[in-house]
Amino acid sequence: MSCRFQEAGKGVVGERVRSCVMRLGSNAGAASFFCVSLVFATSALAQDLGRNWSIKGFGTFGVSGTDTDQLEYRRDISQASGVTRSAGIDIDSRLGLQLDVDITDTLHTTVQWVARQHPGDFFEQNLDWAFLRWRPAADLDLRVGRLGFDVFMLSDYRNVGYAYPWVRPPHEFYGGLPVYHFDGADIAHRFQVGDGQLTLKGFGGYAYYQVPGPFSTLFDASSALGGASAVYELGNWRARIGYVYTLNLSDPPFGPLSSALDNPTVNAFWPGASGLKDDFKVKNAAVQFSSIGLAYDDGEWLGQIEGAYIDSEVNLYPTVANGYFSIGRRLGSFTPYVLLGIAETLNEVVDVPPLLLPVPQLQAFRSAVDQALNGNGVDEKSVSLGVRWDVYENIAVKAQWSHYWLGQNGTQLWVEPASGPTPDQVNVWSVGVDFMF
Amino acid sequence: MRILALPLLLMVFAVHAEVAVIGNLRNPSEALSAKQVQDIFLGRTRTFPDGRFALPIDQSSDLRGEFYQKLTSRPVEQINAYWARIMFTGQASPPLQLPDDEAVLKVVRENEGAIGYVSKPHADKTVRVLLQLN
Repeated sequence: MSCRFQEAGKGVVGERVRSCVMRLGSNAGAASFFCVSLVFATSALAQDLGRNWSIKGFGTFGVSGTDTDQLEYRRDISQASGVTRSAGIDIDSRLGLQLDVDITDTLHTTVQWVARQHPGDFFEQNLDWAFLRWRPAADLDLRVGRLGFDVFMLSDYRNVGYAYPWVRPPHEFYGGLPVYHFDGADIAHRFQVGDGQLTLKGFGGYAYYQVPGPFSTLFDASSALGGASAVYELGNWRARIGYVYTLNLSDPPFGPLSSALDNPTVNAFWPGASGLKDDFKVKNAAVQFSSIGLAYDDGEWLGQIEGAYIDSEVNLYPTVANGYFSIGRRLGSFTPYVLLGIAETLNEVVDVPPLLLPVPQLQAFRSAVDQALNGNGVDEKSVSLGVRWDVYENIAVKAQWSHYWLGQNGTQLWVEPASGPTPDQVNVWSVGVDFMF
Repeated sequence: MRILALPLLLMVFAVHAEVAVIGNLRNPSEALSAKQVQDIFLGRTRTFPDGRFALPIDQSSDLRGEFYQKLTSRPVEQINAYWARIMFTGQASPPLQLPDDEAVLKVVRENEGAIGYVSKPHADKTVRVLLQLN
């Protein structure tokens, strides 16, 4: 936690520069020599106080497992594999490093890279922040570059386990978010309102992300996005309201599927097949995120509640309403908590027309299409009990048990089997250690 | 035993009890409230109430835990978790940490905007006490 330094020497530096300028007026030659030596003296002072850059980091080592082999539990849908009855360390374990540099008094740059389980480009997809920040006034920030996706309360620090009480952000709420960052700009202005602070933020840009897709192991997705949020902090309370509009710019690679649906022979036995092509469209379809949340922390009790409506025009990523509620209490260095979560798909079922004749190959094809369009719902509820134990001032040990209720066709947030029924209830256990440095 | 132990315990507490929040003598603020100091040290505001730029100076010594406990009623783990959210989302950096009272006094004497804290007996006439935390 060693940081910002340049400003520490500001008063002294300012005085020396002023005295330099005054001397320049009287005797330029001697003064410039004097000034050079002063610059060195000044940087020596800055060295005494520290540096203008810092490297910080955070990480988690976590182990988790379930009581089923029919589904794989993953942290979110950006992961291609999860844990089952055979436990694993790779859904939650990660290591983040952050470099901060104060370039001038008003310019700052931050780069953050997080090693984590990701099926895409390990370097590029895991680079979450790389921006230049300009602070022209004390309460105004403008940032340009790669920025965290600030759509919900925790979405831009999901990786920083040390910053929240749970083992991972609530699954029903954050499990469906594969986008961690975008390239663009944001502007945030802070106002004093009453005794609290109101922060208004707007952002826009382009997101490129790689996710496990329905027809290939990896789907290169991209979208244009823009959003706004208002956060009000007053004493122990923090309230947030946010809206984000995203427009998908690319389709998953469903060429072979598309030509099969267009095939005249297929359409002869399966009237209306070609019409299903449009239901697979992702490009130019919008997804809108509206959310509201409230967090309370008085040092002893902590509570958090958040609700969202994700309105999607994409059948492969259906419309969802979700929410969670958590309450915890600090007892010395232990914080036991309860977490409840719910997520439900609200999309209309896509009508897949029947076959004229029960041709076996076509039956298999039709059920695959039906599964792809209608088998990606989210119908999930859970209750979790856990405890965070702050063993040291930058290390926390956590343990959590969760019980999930899953509807049939409601397991999109999990890695689903190619076929066969999925369990109605699953227990997930997790233990881990979160740290920062 | 109990009767003897109680005053002894109180004395132990008294030794650690007082922290002085200090500013530069040229700082026009005569005194600050606990909430104003909290807002500055938690990065909620970057200025003093009169609008001047504030430079909070933290410590890496044992006094740090005591300062935040008295100021915010929270242990240092919670302060660190709070800053983890702010700094790893690229919003701001936590205050610079200096090793001890001596180093804090030096920077506060030399910088008009600096605000730091030291154990009360170390707050001499070269700095202004803006708030006492008992």
